Amino acid sequence: MRNFILFISRFFNLILFLALEIVCIVLISRTNSLQGNDIVSSANAVSGLMYKKQNDVVYYFALRRMNDSLLNENARLRTQLSFRNSVDTLRDTTVRKVLGNPDSSHIIHYADYHYLTAHVINNSVSSSNNYITINRGTATGVYKGMGVITGTGAVGKVVNASAHYASILSILSMKQKVSARLKDGTYGYIEWEGDRPDVLMMKDVAQQVRVKLGDTVFTTDYSFFPSDILIGTVYRKDALKKNNMQLLYLRPTVNFRNLQYVYVVDNKLAMEKQHLEDSSLKSKQ
Amino acid sequence: MSIYVRNFLRFCIIMLLQLLILNKITLRWWLQPSGFPIFIPYVYPLFILLLPFEITVPLLLVLGFITGITMDTFMNTAGLHACATVLIAYLRTNVLNALLPKNLSEYANQSPSIKNMGWVPFLVYGGFLILLHHIVFFTIELWNLSNVGYLMLKILASSVTSMLFIIVYLLLFTRQSGSRG
Repeated sequence: MRNFILFISRFFNLILFLALEIVCIVLISRTNSLQGNDIVSSANAVSGLMYKKQNDVVYYFALRRMNDSLLNENARLRTQLSFRNSVDTLRDTTVRKVLGNPDSSHIIHYADYHYLTAHVINNSVSSSNNYITINRGTATGVYKGMGVITGTGAVGKVVNASAHYASILSILSMKQKVSARLKDGTYGYIEWEGDRPDVLMMKDVAQQVRVKLGDTVFTTDYSFFPSDILIGTVYRKDALKKNNMQLLYLRPTVNFRNLQYVYVVDNKLAMEKQHLEDSSLKSKQ
Repeated sequence: MSIYVRNFLRFCIIMLLQLLILNKITLRWWLQPSGFPIFIPYVYPLFILLLPFEITVPLLLVLGFITGITMDTFMNTAGLHACATVLIAYLRTNVLNALLPKNLSEYANQSPSIKNMGWVPFLVYGGFLILLHHIVFFTIELWNLSNVGYLMLKILASSVTSMLFIIVYLLLFTRQSGSRG
């Protein structure tokens, strides 16, 4: 026993060091799965409040840019509105959208999307998993797992929400793949390689699929996003000899460096879908 | 000012500087070779570097952990910053012992600074620990070694930039006479 205490006191520094490092590594490995990171996250009240105070100051410098983007979006939405007059464009609008795949049973015709506006109060593009903090949380209807879009395209997914703040894992993230669709309906997925915020990659597109430079890529129903939200445009394509696939490089349509406002998409049927998929996964095991 | 108050104030100043200003500056050395990494300068390890000489290692480790976890909370990177910061907190005493001519206990009530260490030893001390911090941080963050060149470029570029920012901080916040304020 005495020897043990001597040993502890002799190597106390090393033991403390190793213990702290193990705590860190446990935290990191919890985060590296998509579910993790609910212990330490910028959605907590203190950091959220601090980012909000900072944003109150910086907010005014970006007003001109924001005005422009809102005008563009308004113009685009007005053209769309002229096709379907029944949609109300108030602030938090509910849109009943007819689903693309009509089935003969006529049970579910539309998905219910509820768009919630939110203000970005913190943003990053330089790390390998980029997070965005917004000023809206569970108190106003933002929950974990919702998709987030902006006027020009897809942004990311809510991974954590406190009462008044939520943090979003953007599609500029190495651990999040997003299901995507080319203009002609070919499915694939979008990945980010972790360095350039203006380059996304679409892998595993068969070589016989004809892709032109400048083609647009959309989200699909398979993901947490509503379908047909823009992701990016193809600017380069590489043919891979080894597996007969082609690799597409995309320019995202969203400028992640100056995000100001985003829309959180509340899909009324998503929970049911997720529940069903989880239960079928469980029964398979 | 007592040494506790001074270090607490320094912690607050450095953290605010890092979180409110430096985190918003996304830097890139060159625009044209588009594979060149972008990064943000990290100045917060400076808090560990500037703690007094005679501080004990366990306290140093705990302070390093707190600093790192604070950064992690704000940047959504659970444990990443803490891991790197605890490592440099552990190695700080050894590096100082190797660089300084006298025993550490002879520098009573002093903190490492350019004035009592000299430019070159301080830059070696800071540069070594910052480089170590960045190596650990970016290696864990990227977590694949398929693109070693990119990783090394990112480590090198961001540690040089961080060192520049640290030198600017020291020049700005060091009083010309008397101890550091």
